[in-house]
Amino acid sequence: MAEVILNQVGKTYPNGYQAIPAIDLHIADGEFIVLVGPSGCGKSTLLRMVAGLESISSGELLINNQRMNEKEPAERDIAMVFQNYALYPHMTVFDNMAYGLRNRGASKDEIQRKVSDSARLLGLTDLLERKPKQLSGGQRQRVAMGRAMVRHPQAFLFDEPLSNLDAKLRVQMRVEIRQLQRQLGTTTLYVTHDQVEAMTLADRLVVLNKGHAEQIGSPLELYERPATTFVAEFIGSPSMNLLPVSITDQGLQLTEQVSLQADTKERGAVIWGIRPEHLQPCSESEADFALQVKAVEALGAESLIYGHTAGRSELLVVRAPGPFTPAIDQMLYLRAPQQQWHLFDINTQQRI
Amino acid sequence: MIERRPWLTLFSHCILILGIIAVALPIWVALVASTHPAEAFKQGVIPLWFGDQGWITWKKVLFSAAGNGVDVPVWLMMINSLVMALAIALGKIAISILSAYAIVFFRFPLRMLCFWIIFMTLMLPVEVRIVPTYKVVADLSLLNSYTGLALPLIASATATFLFRQCFLTIPGELVEAARIDGAGPWRFFKDILLPLSRTNIAALFVILFIYGWNQYLWPLLITTDDHYYTLVMSIKRMVSVAEGDIAWNSIMATTILAMLPPVLVVVGMQKLFVKGLVDTEK
Ligand SMILES: Nc1ncnc2c1ncn2[C@@H]1O[C@H](COP(=O)(O)OP(=O)(O)OP(=O)(O)O)[C@@H](O)[C@H]1O
Ligand SMILES: [Mg+2]
Repeated sequence: MAEVILNQVGKTYPNGYQAIPAIDLHIADGEFIVLVGPSGCGKSTLLRMVAGLESISSGELLINNQRMNEKEPAERDIAMVFQNYALYPHMTVFDNMAYGLRNRGASKDEIQRKVSDSARLLGLTDLLERKPKQLSGGQRQRVAMGRAMVRHPQAFLFDEPLSNLDAKLRVQMRVEIRQLQRQLGTTTLYVTHDQVEAMTLADRLVVLNKGHAEQIGSPLELYERPATTFVAEFIGSPSMNLLPVSITDQGLQLTEQVSLQADTKERGAVIWGIRPEHLQPCSESEADFALQVKAVEALGAESLIYGHTAGRSELLVVRAPGPFTPAIDQMLYLRAPQQQWHLFDINTQQRI
Repeated sequence: MIERRPWLTLFSHCILILGIIAVALPIWVALVASTHPAEAFKQGVIPLWFGDQGWITWKKVLFSAAGNGVDVPVWLMMINSLVMALAIALGKIAISILSAYAIVFFRFPLRMLCFWIIFMTLMLPVEVRIVPTYKVVADLSLLNSYTGLALPLIASATATFLFRQCFLTIPGELVEAARIDGAGPWRFFKDILLPLSRTNIAALFVILFIYGWNQYLWPLLITTDDHYYTLVMSIKRMVSVAEGDIAWNSIMATTILAMLPPVLVVVGMQKLFVKGLVDTEK
């Protein structure tokens, strides 16, 4: 249980590729941090630098206020769960969990006690004598967790641990991971590209883009006040509608004909963002603008409606609750309440 | 493919039976010949059923002297062959598993160069370098010794390659998990690599044991003392006596005895051997 501090940590691979320029991150004791970002943005690289599997090119990593840059992975007292679990195929579940303890010279009694404690917590007690081959995907995942937990490390590192599981199991394991982490109070760094996982697990989210942190904050903070268009698009599914528009004294010029009333001092070209769930279908008289429906995805609990507004080519998405199936090419009238708007600078993409 | 075609079944059985006869008949003849007196062959008829000399021939060959210019008993040569074959097989496995370990898992300067140098020794089997190797062994006064018999044959590019291929299939995460679990290079080798390549080791052992057992040219060259003769080379010696009658019965008995250890190794390790060739446990 420890604080993990990254001071201007950067990574340049031997081939000269700069995967991470410099990241500052202060992880409090017991905090659950989730790293999200598109593929190739450097999530695994960052995690592996913390683990010690990848050298740190610049900056400093502190765990419990001790500099870790030069330490071997085993000396950092962290535990990692890999996407493919990386269980030792020739060892039983018990031995898989005990291996780290044995290498650290723990006594037989201690190993026995710790392994059976962790096994009980994870419901693995009956599987201790099995080989990984004889386990289901979910059980292997649990063993991988057990191997991490059993040492009571300073920090857990997870690299997309649930992405090999089917949807139902993923939900179940997600809940379980969160419970276990709370129970143990272990500082955790978790990599995923699954939105829901990120939002539900995190105390704080780090959105990475091309190796730099676009925004760090609680899930709701990121949802409600995305700092950049990148975060705005990345958090939330389906992602936020973003349109380049201009604001004049007449209001926000959605198209040449349609302008929305805007109480803002901002003038000129901006990017206007509104989430699909904040566009409300309404009657023609109340409407701010209309959408010509091009496609409907009725999911039961909600419906996603895609369409154009006259004079613009961008496809907008509306998320309406319940089964709602307007006909194709029908006009859908919408309200876009001003308190749900997000405005971004058109050049810097930063929130205004 | 499961088909019910009686003619096809019959046909394939015939082929198989013919194959078995082709392989087994010479062995049968050898076994039978060893039980007849030495002169039985000279009449030009090959006997197909056991004679009455079996007990005498076998006892003589095994325990007093193989005959025909070879004055040591077969059991001693068997031990020589066994020592050589085991030393070659185990030595080759030990050296090549270590070099493959270094090449696959460690980043050291000139790693690729080392790799290619090992690769090049594929082109230099003993037969090619026999004169210089003989000189080296003679200078080290290793002629007529077990070390001299085995050592020059131990380096093996083929086995190094096999282990390299096997190690390359081990996922990187497994290595990393072991590092995080605090396994140093030695522990990783002992606890993870060795168990994971167990079947490969067994398969290689079978192949290399037979390779070592069948060595002919090299032992012939460096042993002049009867007490270091190996079985396979002695058979040749027994056949090529300058004058006098060739004692076919003794030769056949020796041949049968020479076949036994490799057969035992293959039969004993068959399960592991097949597993080593088809298994993908990782
Ligand atoms: N060993 C390496 N040498 C050079 N470049 C590398 C190396 N490993 C990764 N990279 C590059 O660094 C960038 C970040 O890789 P990383 O594996 O951290 O991505 P990621 O965010 O984990 O992606 P994913 O979600 O697909 O796992 C990528 O552009 C990748 O091509
Ligand atoms: Mg990754």
